[in-house]
Amino acid sequence: MPRNDSLETGELTDTSYYILVSLIEAKHGYLIMKTIEDMTNQQFSIGPASMYTTIKKLLAAELIMLFSESKDKKKTYVATEKGIQFLKKEIQRRKEMIKHAEDALGGL
Amino acid sequence: MKKTKYIMSGGTAFAEQEDLQKLSDYAKKGWLLDRFAFLGYTLKKGEPQDLQYSLDFQENADDEYFLLFKDAGWQHVCSEGHAMHIFSAPPGTKPIYSDIETIIDRYKREKHFVGKAALSILAIMMFLLLFNAMSSYGWLPEAVGMISDILLIISTVLLVFPGLPYLAYQRKLKKLRNI
Repeated sequence: MPRNDSLETGELTDTSYYILVSLIEAKHGYLIMKTIEDMTNQQFSIGPASMYTTIKKLLAAELIMLFSESKDKKKTYVATEKGIQFLKKEIQRRKEMIKHAEDALGGL
Repeated sequence: MKKTKYIMSGGTAFAEQEDLQKLSDYAKKGWLLDRFAFLGYTLKKGEPQDLQYSLDFQENADDEYFLLFKDAGWQHVCSEGHAMHIFSAPPGTKPIYSDIETIIDRYKREKHFVGKAALSILAIMMFLLLFNAMSSYGWLPEAVGMISDILLIISTVLLVFPGLPYLAYQRKLKKLRNI
């Protein structure tokens, strides 16, 4: 399965996941990048080409929407209700994945 | 002294990293990328600089696109056909692509783009073959057959330009999906 079509299967890539998390409150592109870097202590950062592509994909899937466009051409986005539901499902999926591994390790 | 210099491209579908490395090496010697040229690049004389170059393919690049790159420290250098864009940044600037999924997206867009071009040429070739056959059966004047022959040779040569990149992108995508 081509992994980049994961939105259709209901899974979020790490990039989409963090963008959605940071768009619980409306933000423009660069602020999304900064927020994610701060949130993850610089462990996760998104390049501009990946950011642009993923924003377009999330918009097309209606997981985020255009919030406003300022005079300096900066577009602000915010997660939609569908996006938040998607995110909640993804959190559950990831929690289960962690639990599976922890169970297998048996507290090692 | 000459102010500009032309260098050949290895073809961005085949030698993207080599091309970008070459541009970076030239920048160290004070030859900075100025614009795309026919099958290559035009460089202009400037201050020697330590720069890394990145190439992106985006047909719908808008203000927001260029702004994102600028904010992330990547300066837009030049574009070709509103689709190929080259950016430069000081060493240490984070790469323009940060995950494999969007890199795959990029090569898919490029493959689709050259694929469309290759298909149009193939469609023309089908018509030419048809004219050719019709003329050899005497349904069309002989001259039509001759002209079709010449055009067929030309279109075969032209087919190489989108055709080979198409195969290159296909191979690249196959490799990326196996990671």
